[in-house]
Amino acid sequence: MKAVENGGTAIGIRCKDGVVLAVEKITTSKLLKPGANKRTATVDRNIGIVSAGLVPDGRHFISRARDEASSWRNIYKGPIPTSALANRLGGYVQAYTLYSSVRPFGVTAIIGGWDPESELLVDGQVGTGPKSGSGGKVEGVKAGGPALYMIEPSGLYWGYHGAATGKGRQAAKAELEKLDLSAGNLSLYDGVKEAARIIFIAHEDSKDKDFELEMTWVSSLDGPTKGRHEEVPTGLLEDAKKAAMRSREREVEDDEDRPKSHDGERMEE
Amino acid sequence: MNHLPQAWGRPRDDVYGTYDRSYLQTSTPNSHTQSPAVTGTSVLAIKFNGGVAMAADKLASYGSLARFTDVKRIRVFDKTTVVGFGGDISDMQYIDRLLDSIDVEENYSSNGNTLNAKNVHTYLAKVLYKRRSKFDPLWNQILVAGFDDDSKPFLSSADLLGTTFSAPHLATGFGAHLAIPILRRLFPEEMPVENIGKEEAVAALRECMKVLFYRDARSLDQYSLAVVTSDGVELKEDEKLEAQSWNFAENIRGYGTQVN
Amino acid sequence: MFRNNYDNDSVTFSPQGRIFQVEYAQEAVKQGSVVVGIVSKTHAVLVGLKRNAEELSSYQKKVIAIDSHMGIAIAGLASDARVLSNFMKQQSLGSRLTYGRAIPLERIVLHIGDRAQTNTQHYGRRPYGVGLLIAGVDDSGPHLFEFQPSGMTQEMVACAIGARSQMARTYLEKNLEQFADCGRDQLIGHGLKALKETLSQDKELTVENTTVGIAGLAREGSVGKIENFKLYDGQDIVPLLEALEAATSGTEAVGAESMEVDS
Repeated sequence: MKAVENGGTAIGIRCKDGVVLAVEKITTSKLLKPGANKRTATVDRNIGIVSAGLVPDGRHFISRARDEASSWRNIYKGPIPTSALANRLGGYVQAYTLYSSVRPFGVTAIIGGWDPESELLVDGQVGTGPKSGSGGKVEGVKAGGPALYMIEPSGLYWGYHGAATGKGRQAAKAELEKLDLSAGNLSLYDGVKEAARIIFIAHEDSKDKDFELEMTWVSSLDGPTKGRHEEVPTGLLEDAKKAAMRSREREVEDDEDRPKSHDGERMEE
Repeated sequence: MNHLPQAWGRPRDDVYGTYDRSYLQTSTPNSHTQSPAVTGTSVLAIKFNGGVAMAADKLASYGSLARFTDVKRIRVFDKTTVVGFGGDISDMQYIDRLLDSIDVEENYSSNGNTLNAKNVHTYLAKVLYKRRSKFDPLWNQILVAGFDDDSKPFLSSADLLGTTFSAPHLATGFGAHLAIPILRRLFPEEMPVENIGKEEAVAALRECMKVLFYRDARSLDQYSLAVVTSDGVELKEDEKLEAQSWNFAENIRGYGTQVN
Repeated sequence: MFRNNYDNDSVTFSPQGRIFQVEYAQEAVKQGSVVVGIVSKTHAVLVGLKRNAEELSSYQKKVIAIDSHMGIAIAGLASDARVLSNFMKQQSLGSRLTYGRAIPLERIVLHIGDRAQTNTQHYGRRPYGVGLLIAGVDDSGPHLFEFQPSGMTQEMVACAIGARSQMARTYLEKNLEQFADCGRDQLIGHGLKALKETLSQDKELTVENTTVGIAGLAREGSVGKIENFKLYDGQDIVPLLEALEAATSGTEAVGAESMEVDS
């Protein structure tokens, strides 16, 4: 099961006003259509999933996630909270470790979403009805917000501020830890820049291979994506890429000046 | 020996005696929805040069009781298509959720393949027909407006029987009787849709809504108005009929309190 | 018989995280005769080399029309391909029936990918022993996809699978930049040339063994938005082969040169 963590690095960052998902797509052939073959997928409208490992298993995982989201909607007439989705998928993945008739999933998946803070219309709602009393609602309760989870092949999952999986996860984790994400200060736009930079750093180990950077994000209802999980717009993506490459070059120069940096390894402990 | 098809596969009465059918029968036959419960009345729509306009009032009646007065019966699909519902409100909500789940699935891939109004209409007609074939109909008359495969304005109807019908102007419910003649007079059959302007079409709908409010006892003076063009859908859900005059009412015998 | 202890079924990972049964299925694809696919801005073409089991038998079908807007080319177990192609035909008809819309290629490809993946995760099942190239057009233009027994599907600009397909891929990579702006006939030409690269010394492209399928966007002013998937088999292929003959004899020097590079 160890070696399933071999696909391109995938990361997720939970920012204060949204979540960014990024993945390093190694270009295995020149004949692949550039920009196609997306590795991040949308579940319902407000949740994104990216995975590292066996790509077809990742597709299976996503299709299950979509089924869960749709069955949730069937019952509750509203979008599934990210935490509930992570819980159900954790259970599903774990079930595949229980029986000799199936093999476990060969993926580690990162789930990022934005759960609406304000009350949504119930699916199919056509009017508002009479306004009297609070209807059992408590004023001022905080709900929703950004959410990020990572599910392992065992079915184990945790919530994260920053998550990384795939080949370059060690380096990526080291960088994520430097961001002090738990303070909750990082903005979504900065998150996009950081995510691009971290993917470029994680790519260092397999420098000889070409790769495409794929990034998606989800913000609050009043943010840039209006609560939807979407691809990061091309312009912003290119800017982030350029910035990432520039900072990479700077670091390489710095490294040459200094004798040796053990930053990554120290953080790992 | 009885060769009639009705007797095929049955034990011969002359050998076994008549079959005792009471063994087969349950107490009553199965039955599904026999009538709608909470209903919306007319939906009107008209094609014009470069788009389609649609209007429906906001009343949901429970029999003759005006039960809900803020019901939005025009639903938007994928920012390009509008669907107007007459008939049962809860069936409308069910269909709205069907459309919502399709919209979610359609947006899973970000490439340019989208469902247009014609696709939505085909789908809805199939759903309605399938349900009526199960003797469990969705009690609605539906108008779908938007664009077809060639990006031309599209307007078509589908009803609880799965019947589909298409015309430059359409109306469901009472509107089919009251609004269609008005629309036909304003925009005769031989008049090409290209000659009808957007403002003209909207004004005609407003006029028809007014007539319907005067004449249809299950209608309301508040209504939704949607205009679909290639720029997208413009949906106004707080329209109100202005400049009503009920002065004629007192001349009607049997209306309100009257002395002899 | 077996390479190791981890290849008895498709539900066992090797310690390196490999699933050997799936890799063996991939071998079946490599044994199949070669098929090539290319897309331009307007067209998607499939070209295949047909084989006959024996001298007197007919040739195995390599390119199958699925719907009027798409078709597939197969390499590997033809019977598995038939299962998949029947499924695809059903899906595609289903879309036409319920929505009145030609099914988007990405959707149908992901669908068969999901089906193939299921076969690699459940005991008592085996992976499909066939690779596919799926080509066609939808609202977002022409597309070419590769499908593998593992359930992996990828959108390609050009692709070749099957026996000796490496030669074709080399040709495709070398001419990659030209494809986008190719016209219909040029694109077929490239497909046939790529196919020719894979032939062993004593083989030729003939009326019997060559097959072509192409779909595209309709030209300006023609009826409808797309040019339907058209299959060229048997005598229909003659003009295409003649065109190839004319093109290659004119540039014999270039052809010879590229052969040298490949070997």
